[in-house]
Amino acid sequence: MIRVVNWGIAGSVVGAGRSGLAWLGQSRGGAVDLPSLSLANRLVGNSELTVGIETCGGLVLTFDTPTLLALTGAVADVQVTGGPPVGWGSPMVLPAGAFLRVGRLIEGARLYVAVRGGLTAFADELLVGADPLTAAAAQPAARSVRRTTLRIWPGPRLDWADGNAWATLTSSAFAVTATSRVGLRLGGPVLHRVRHGELPSEGMVEGAIQLPPDGQPIIMLADHPTTGGYPVIAVVGPADVPDAAQAAVGESLRFIAAR
Amino acid sequence: MRLLPYGPRAVLAEFDTLGEVISTASAWRAAHLPGVVDIVPAARTVLVVHDGRFDTTSLFAAVALVEPDERRHITIDVLYNGADLAAVAAAAGLTTAGVVELHSSAVYTVAFCGFMPGFAYLVGLPAALHLPRRATPRTRVPVGSVAVAAEFTGVYPRESPGGWHLLGTADAVLWDDAATPPALLAPGTTVRFRQR
Repeated sequence: MIRVVNWGIAGSVVGAGRSGLAWLGQSRGGAVDLPSLSLANRLVGNSELTVGIETCGGLVLTFDTPTLLALTGAVADVQVTGGPPVGWGSPMVLPAGAFLRVGRLIEGARLYVAVRGGLTAFADELLVGADPLTAAAAQPAARSVRRTTLRIWPGPRLDWADGNAWATLTSSAFAVTATSRVGLRLGGPVLHRVRHGELPSEGMVEGAIQLPPDGQPIIMLADHPTTGGYPVIAVVGPADVPDAAQAAVGESLRFIAAR
Repeated sequence: MRLLPYGPRAVLAEFDTLGEVISTASAWRAAHLPGVVDIVPAARTVLVVHDGRFDTTSLFAAVALVEPDERRHITIDVLYNGADLAAVAAAAGLTTAGVVELHSSAVYTVAFCGFMPGFAYLVGLPAALHLPRRATPRTRVPVGSVAVAAEFTGVYPRESPGGWHLLGTADAVLWDDAATPPALLAPGTTVRFRQR
């Protein structure tokens, strides 16, 4: 068993989430940066969709039994007491009694912890599942470079913005002003709307870029509302949504036309 | 019907009326179109989420060819004790018994879901009960509240803030993660409320 001493910032257990339920009002949920959770699971020999931990920093765990784990996603200041150091992307066994402290995130916005066998949470106690036996722990992974220029497609309501909006979107830098599991708020040149008021609410996808009346775009992430009334002027392609999810506050993002 | 672009894995179909939205979304769901991942009706649109290899022009054919599945019908028992029952009666020029009679005699259809998992927007509300949302939303609407706003009625699947007028309380389970589908009220389902 693993005890959560501190969940830190926005810490929770997450899996892959469930797609196909937006018609019933439920967005995917699950890991905001799903490829990072999948990688962490592969590193410890789990199936990719196994439940792990997502945190924005400040997570503290202690272990009752020797536990094989791996960290992916953001790079953090990680300290271990009572066991060997744990580096990014390197599966490691922590002995019983060890403490793992994930401090401040240095690069990226969300860190993932996978534990061999997976996890079931009972409040602050995490029950480790049976060893999968099917796969050994993998060799350490190399960190790939994260995209900060995201590929976008035109959205259904691009015509609610003025004729320059697409050019502005694809030629300017936007700073991340806030990030959560729901979405990413950006600040940059104001994108002007030529149609005002609200749309009757319509369906949204992960990566949808909404344009609120203040002209500062919002990118939808895993816990987005299934419908919304702000016009969607563009869409970040699914392959680049995890990169958007890892953009931290203050970081600069750009957009490029997907084709 | 107009198809609007929505990136590499979705397309948005726009309609003139909510009636077309309801019938088209039901037809597309019944057609089990290969490659389609989700079909999300809303007020004037249907979002079709797909795997990236779906031919969106096949949506036109699917409208014409497919009859919706047999519709599910649900009856929900309601204790008409809502905090806004008297205010709704006053605004509608009815007695509270008259509001209960009107609300529980209509047959409703789930037009779409949203706001929170399992929250269904039901159409078919008698015109006398069409009221704008409350000027000030409540910070806490109890789970199971049966409420009206504009042309819609609905049931809150869990406690939340909300601006609808509360007519009563139902103890039906609106969302169950273990059920298939997890929502009691899915788009296309018909619903009656029964006074208890």
